[in-house]
Amino acid sequence: MTMAEERGEGAKVRVLIEKATNSTDSEVHPRLLKAIKSVVRYSDSELRVAAQTLMDLMKRDHSQVRYLSLLVIDELFMRSKLFRSLVVEKLDQLLTLSVGFRRNMLLPEPAAVASTLRSKAIEFLEKWNDSFGIYHRKLRLGYDYLRNTLQLQFPNIQANAMRRQQERMERERRSKEILLGKFEMLKANFSSIKEEIQSTLDEIKECLDIVHCKEDARDMIPLDDDTTEEFRSTELRQIRLNALKEGEMVHENQDNKVIFDALRELYKLMSKHLVSIQEWTSVLVRVDSTDIRFRDSALREFIDIRNSLRAVKKRCEESGCYFTESANHDDENEDFWEEGPVGAMENGGSVASKRKNEDVVVAPTSNVIKNTDTKTSSEAHVSNPVHNGEVCSSSNSASSLRNNLLAEAPIIEWGPFLSTWDSKTDILANQRGLELESHWGRVDYDATIPAEKIAELSVRASLYKEDQPEIQPCHAPLRKGGLCPRRDLKVCPFHGPIVPRDDEGRPLNVSSSLDETTPDLKIGSVEKLARQAVKNVRARYKEAAEKREHDKKTLKRAKLAKIREHNEGVLRDAALASTSRSAALGEHMETTDEGTRSAWNKKKTLASMLRKKASTKERLSRRLLGARSRALTKRELTLNEDANYGEAFPNQW
Amino acid sequence: MWKDIRDREAGKLRPNSFANRVKSDRTSSLQLSNHKDIVSPHRGSVNSLQVDLTEGRYLLSGASDASAAVFDIQRATHSEGLIAKHQCIFAVDKQHEHGHQYAISSAIWYPVDTGLFVTGSYDHHINVWDTNTTQVVVNFKLPGKVYRTAMSSLATSHMLIAAGTEDVQVRLCDISSGAFSHTLSGHRDGVMSVAWSASSEWVLITGGCDGAIRFWDIRRAGCFRVLDQSQSQLGRRPPISGWTANKLSTSKSLLASQGSNMKSRIPHKKLANGNATKPSATGKLPAKGSTRQRLHPGLLSSQDRAVSHYGAVTGLKVTGDGMYLLSAGSDSRLKLWDVESGCNTLVNYETMRLQTNKPLQLATSEDSALVFAPCMATVKAFDMWTGKTSLTFSGHYEGVNCCWYNFPDQELYTGGNDRQILVWSPSRNSTELDWESTADRDNWSD
Repeated sequence: MTMAEERGEGAKVRVLIEKATNSTDSEVHPRLLKAIKSVVRYSDSELRVAAQTLMDLMKRDHSQVRYLSLLVIDELFMRSKLFRSLVVEKLDQLLTLSVGFRRNMLLPEPAAVASTLRSKAIEFLEKWNDSFGIYHRKLRLGYDYLRNTLQLQFPNIQANAMRRQQERMERERRSKEILLGKFEMLKANFSSIKEEIQSTLDEIKECLDIVHCKEDARDMIPLDDDTTEEFRSTELRQIRLNALKEGEMVHENQDNKVIFDALRELYKLMSKHLVSIQEWTSVLVRVDSTDIRFRDSALREFIDIRNSLRAVKKRCEESGCYFTESANHDDENEDFWEEGPVGAMENGGSVASKRKNEDVVVAPTSNVIKNTDTKTSSEAHVSNPVHNGEVCSSSNSASSLRNNLLAEAPIIEWGPFLSTWDSKTDILANQRGLELESHWGRVDYDATIPAEKIAELSVRASLYKEDQPEIQPCHAPLRKGGLCPRRDLKVCPFHGPIVPRDDEGRPLNVSSSLDETTPDLKIGSVEKLARQAVKNVRARYKEAAEKREHDKKTLKRAKLAKIREHNEGVLRDAALASTSRSAALGEHMETTDEGTRSAWNKKKTLASMLRKKASTKERLSRRLLGARSRALTKRELTLNEDANYGEAFPNQW
Repeated sequence: MWKDIRDREAGKLRPNSFANRVKSDRTSSLQLSNHKDIVSPHRGSVNSLQVDLTEGRYLLSGASDASAAVFDIQRATHSEGLIAKHQCIFAVDKQHEHGHQYAISSAIWYPVDTGLFVTGSYDHHINVWDTNTTQVVVNFKLPGKVYRTAMSSLATSHMLIAAGTEDVQVRLCDISSGAFSHTLSGHRDGVMSVAWSASSEWVLITGGCDGAIRFWDIRRAGCFRVLDQSQSQLGRRPPISGWTANKLSTSKSLLASQGSNMKSRIPHKKLANGNATKPSATGKLPAKGSTRQRLHPGLLSSQDRAVSHYGAVTGLKVTGDGMYLLSAGSDSRLKLWDVESGCNTLVNYETMRLQTNKPLQLATSEDSALVFAPCMATVKAFDMWTGKTSLTFSGHYEGVNCCWYNFPDQELYTGGNDRQILVWSPSRNSTELDWESTADRDNWSD
């Protein structure tokens, strides 16, 4: 009784497992899997049956079945202890069947599935070994064997994860150390940083005050206006036309220029400070130091400083002191340095203006200038006004002249002849820096090479360059889509002579010629006309033929439809006439065979996976059998039919 | 178990039988040990395993990568959780200045103490090593690959290494002199297995690739017995009536010629055959013995051709009491021979297949109830007298070459072509399993 019961239960799980593994999917159907798990969970006998069934399925000569069984095995393995012990007992068998490491027992057919099966098996083995290796010696043994003796490549998931974790920890630790180091540094330099920033702030304030004072005092103090030159007015106006109101602005002029420069300098310094303070605060926020008190106070102070800096910055901007962005400055620098070597004349000009500016800068020494000691900033400081000045001064004439010249100038490749470009001086032959004192007799130091000779020697070499003619691609439409990419000069070997075509590959000339030639007969030659006529005739003929064919087809179709209708009617009658018993039988057959038939269908797909071609004999026999059966049914059904009628309409009952 | 203890307490059970009962219980529950791992340093198949005979503590292994290693099987080097890992105490391999070049086919302890061990290798050499300094003390060059080496555990008057090689002659290497003391010729092919008798220090048993098992008395020339598979007896004890005169005479002549030194065998014989045989045997002895002597110093020529296995004899093992001999052949047969009579006892061991190309190392349990024989990738324990398979040890992934049963611990060690040395120990009691069960549980998520 109990045995039978058990067998019944076992059958259930076996059916479930067989159904689950009988699929071509790359995964077990989740509902089936769930069903298996729930069945197996509450009964050890079911579990045993499941283990046995799965091991049997693993022996199946089909990698897909093995693969799915392996997936089920893994699911159960990770869950049930009993199942583990059952599987581990036969681990060598399982590995042989899933990894296929034995030479005489390779994995069966569908090669793609076999390889996934293999990799999956190895992965599972590693997982199992990581989780349960300490409880099962055989797991460890199998793992060791595959890894160390056969030297299979394991995915090493856990080890990799651990290594990654360790790396991350290391990185974090290092960054923390760096942060801590920064924090310590900050702690040491805190006061000096603060002082520096404070002094900058003070200076900026002073400068602003001075500027405003001057503004106020400008009316009172008479300035010699003929010497002051409105340097920037045009440019500045252009730049800030929209942003600023002219009247409120403090205009920069010759005497407050120094202050403005200093202010600009300080402004830049201030923005730098702002950035550094941002950095320090982020350091303070991120660091987890024991010295919380200091951290908090420093943070607070930094925030205060930042706020004051911002306020001052805003004030600066409001005060009408324009401050171009530092990036802009750099660009201008670059421009300047690029421009430099272009023309000697211009260069000289700029140098001259620079000198002038420098004079200007140097003249009124004040405490402001001492802040411009940083090299880069001073450079920028020098360069900026120079550039501006130059542009200002030559904005009307020089720049346009230069542009004109640039537009005219030929583009020449670099060569040694450029060093003596336009020079008319003779060159001393023996003054080359080499001391060749009387090695070869007396040396005439005054020997010169005339300029013409030099020009002759360093004559500009030019290479003949053949300009490649653009070869048009064929562009004939291809059958598989796209256009023919071949580039031939005249004739494409596949599509004939190359003619200009449109984007879809239709020749442009033909249509245009057609369009053009028909209306105007003068151009179209007789030949063309004749060709056109032939073409037209042919087209018409073709059309007619098509139409005829079409008519024929529709006729035929109508006929066939009629016949079909008739046939269906006859079949319906036959079906109604057939006995209820056979109908019931058929139904019954259907219900019982449903499972097996579906299994059969699935098996068919599994079999098709094997891609084993049926032999000719089999195919033939199947065909013959099919034909015979069809003939039989046909004969039976046509028994009652009128023979004449049948003869007249061979397709009709 | 508890009943036995109570009986023992009450004196109903004798200490000896109690111990034997416990031991056999433990032996019958041998399984792959999960708490004792031997970490094999070998990079080739393990060919030979032996636990030293004095302490029963040090396991010596020889492997195909020309390495030999010694393990302490009592104390683990380290442990992972409950798994005790036994790493080798030392290993000698090719890197060693006097190490072997090719596979070590056999590694044995010096039977008296653990100060020396002997390795025989396919590079034609036998090395005698000092265990403590791991240096070669004596070195023998043999004419061919060494298949097996053996030393007598009984020997008190000699320290000879018997070496079975590719060569037809069996050589006895004397450690004390460093030279070959004997060259025993008789085999027609290489000698794959060598064993000393467990009852006499002068009797050597060799099994050759020609299928013959020969018994040699090293004090005289020639072999004195060739086992013949066609001469058989049924059952464990030879029936007295079944003894033919001829057979009796051969053994008795031997007995007579050997004189006093055979005394060690006589008690066994008494035990085996009972008192009744003794007078008859001695009575027949003189006449027949003399004829035998006259005919041939060794054997009759017809006897000389006898074979015990079709194919090579790959393994020999004398039972602990020295009365029986087990032999494994490349015909995949395991045979039990009565040493006394030289008869095949016709026990049918249910072997499936045996490795044929390598010498095998068999093992027996202490009371000679079980035979452990490597059968391809498994080791099987057969009942000695019925031949029934009582246990199958499957854990190796490739063929097993050797096994060793350690009497004091009732543990089995096996070494195979998969480079592993596995420990099979009696299953542990339930208390120790508790820890495992707590951690290793079902975890159904759904």
